[in-house]
Amino acid sequence: MKHLTDQSLIDYRFNLLEAELAAEVARHLAACDQCQKRSSQLAKRLEALDLLRDEPALTEELIGQTLASVRRPRSTTRFRVWWAAAAAVMLAATAVTVWLQWGANQRLASTGRVAVKKAEERLAASAIPAPFSQQQTTNNEQRITNNDSEPPPFAPASAIELVTLPRRESVQLTIYNSADLTLVRDRRSLTLRKGWNWLQFMWANTLIDPTSLDLEPQDHKDQIEVRQLVYPARLKDLGRWLIHSEVEGRVPFEITYFTSGISWRAFYMGTLSPDERTIRLEGYVRVTNNSGEDYENAQVRLIVGQIHLLDQIADLANRPYPYGRPVERMGEGGGVVNGDKKQRLAERLLWTLEGYKPDAYVALATKEIVKEGLSEYFLYTIEGTETIPNGWSKRLASLQADEVPTKNLYKYEEDCCDSPVVRFLSFKNDAEHKLGQTPIPEGQIQVYRTVDDSGRLYYVGGTGFKYIPIGQEVELELGEVRDVVVEPVLMDLRTENHQFDSPERDLSGWDTVQTFKVQVRNTRAIQVQVEIKRNLQTTYWDLTRTDTIGTYEQVDKDTVKFTLNAPAGSGQSFEYRLRTYHGTREQAWRK
Amino acid sequence: MPGTDQQIVESCQKGDPAAFEELVRRYGSSVLGYLTRVCGNRDRAEDCFQETFGRVYQNLHRVRPEAFRAWLFRIATNTAIDGFRKQSRVKMTSLDQTAEGEGLSAAKDVIVDPVPGPVEVASQEEQVTAVRRAVASLPDGQRAALMLAYYQQMSYSQVAEVLGCSVGAVKTQMSRALATLAERLPNLE
Repeated sequence: MKHLTDQSLIDYRFNLLEAELAAEVARHLAACDQCQKRSSQLAKRLEALDLLRDEPALTEELIGQTLASVRRPRSTTRFRVWWAAAAAVMLAATAVTVWLQWGANQRLASTGRVAVKKAEERLAASAIPAPFSQQQTTNNEQRITNNDSEPPPFAPASAIELVTLPRRESVQLTIYNSADLTLVRDRRSLTLRKGWNWLQFMWANTLIDPTSLDLEPQDHKDQIEVRQLVYPARLKDLGRWLIHSEVEGRVPFEITYFTSGISWRAFYMGTLSPDERTIRLEGYVRVTNNSGEDYENAQVRLIVGQIHLLDQIADLANRPYPYGRPVERMGEGGGVVNGDKKQRLAERLLWTLEGYKPDAYVALATKEIVKEGLSEYFLYTIEGTETIPNGWSKRLASLQADEVPTKNLYKYEEDCCDSPVVRFLSFKNDAEHKLGQTPIPEGQIQVYRTVDDSGRLYYVGGTGFKYIPIGQEVELELGEVRDVVVEPVLMDLRTENHQFDSPERDLSGWDTVQTFKVQVRNTRAIQVQVEIKRNLQTTYWDLTRTDTIGTYEQVDKDTVKFTLNAPAGSGQSFEYRLRTYHGTREQAWRK
Repeated sequence: MPGTDQQIVESCQKGDPAAFEELVRRYGSSVLGYLTRVCGNRDRAEDCFQETFGRVYQNLHRVRPEAFRAWLFRIATNTAIDGFRKQSRVKMTSLDQTAEGEGLSAAKDVIVDPVPGPVEVASQEEQVTAVRRAVASLPDGQRAALMLAYYQQMSYSQVAEVLGCSVGAVKTQMSRALATLAERLPNLE
């Protein structure tokens, strides 16, 4: 039988076939289980479309904006004509002003005039990631107006007064791994005029969270006021700050924002000594930048640990609208003003916790990761600066500790037959183990063993571990082994103390007595510690040791643990007798 | 304002401003929903929404009241497609769209579990993003036909009227769109 194609099945389901063909498909489907099944599968797959069925809410605000825009008088057209004429006049006036006032600075003036003509093209061009060396000058642009005594401008006059920003002076990245969030502090010196100034910031093709944008002057704070951040209508991926300045000239500013796409991961290498009593730990972090933006000579700081504050940041990053919308109101320039202060508070809180100091931008000669504790989480600062272009990763050394005492442990769970022996390495993150200065970030570790004095290594195993707080012991599971063998053998089994119901004489209680012999063989050339755990499946039990090899302890109400040291190349065994109580005999155990 | 759609349109054509507001309210949700799906981006959809009703307001005198709905969606479609031509198509499929919340809220509404955990929410959002990406990958014509027929639940003849083409052409667009989506949509199982 020739089966129907997916296309036919889809067309049939969505009434896309001509009547005759549809009838033919219907007949086939009625007789063909395989095609019915395939049809159901396709329908199920297309049901995913329903995930988009939800209609977005129509807000009163949007209705209001729409009605306001359509009822705007037809003079809009005339206004546009006037606007174009005014813009032309302003173009000339601005060019002359720029020429006179920055006469000595021919380069800047010409940049401004080029920008006058090419503003829109440059805006568009800046949306494409520029080559690394040019990135800072294309992604952000400054707009200057000169209306000191006038009230706040309605909007930037036009794109005619754009001049390029100076290069980024320094940048600091604080990477919060668990939230895929990075706090960026970007320092630049802006040239301000007295009066109103517009600063335009673009984030096209980056993962910058526009809700988090913030701008603060670093000097003349009492003379410069950042009034508002406007997201102009119909212009995507850009915002404009309105700044009022009582000073003229270059002023250092700090632009801060959150971005995602920058992450870091920790990796470790452990090298066991030949006797496996100590391990040398080396840690690395790999920072990866997929944020869409190049960060040159950035000071990099890494946050370890998860606390409630990170959840707040994550909430911030996942806000339903990228900018403005939650409490938006129409700005004076016709765009949307970001009036949300909550996010700003969150940032402030974050910076306070981090103990941020502007002086931290000083570049240092040696590259080292410095760690400091901050409340419930931990901050690693990579000293000096690193250049991390978009799409690149960098590996940086973070930890080195020699001769960390380690415990070689082989564990066996005696729950079922043929259980494997699993090897563990354990050490504690404390001073006794030459660690304990910082928590150890979650990561992957590869463990090697030194074979001889020449330093040759062989690979032992690899595993991952979670964040290790100071003072906590960690066990690294290195996988199953065959060179240490544990074999429990049942030597004797009987039942005792039978009890019966009267008068039916049904069995109502008894004891089971089992004798086990556990053989442990260590074929390795070093002594190892072996831990044998057994769950007894009942809480009514007594255990009797018949020898003194190793130690025995009760782990919980139905689990016991035997621990013994197995010398190199040894074989040994121990026995125990287990009595378990059943039925009415459980009463006897209680007594 | 009571009255049929036809009466409202007629009132509007006579210059009643309250009637136009009523039109925006009556059709606003479905037009915004349509534009959001077509544009794949709430912000862009809102821009198109305003532009659509701006064009409607300017040209309302040309429409027959009984054909208003199809005419409205034709304007919305043209506005959205004009927008695509101005915008980079890459942005249509950008992951930025998920940050705008529609995915999350839509997913929350669909999922039965009233309190999904973080993993579930992330998974739902991924699925919504995948669906959005699959839909956004369709050619403009196919996407518009799908939006009108599937989400606006218009008949193929109504879709043809909106898109200004034959019913056969609409069916062809739909057929191709669905075949593509059957390959690209995520498996929800």
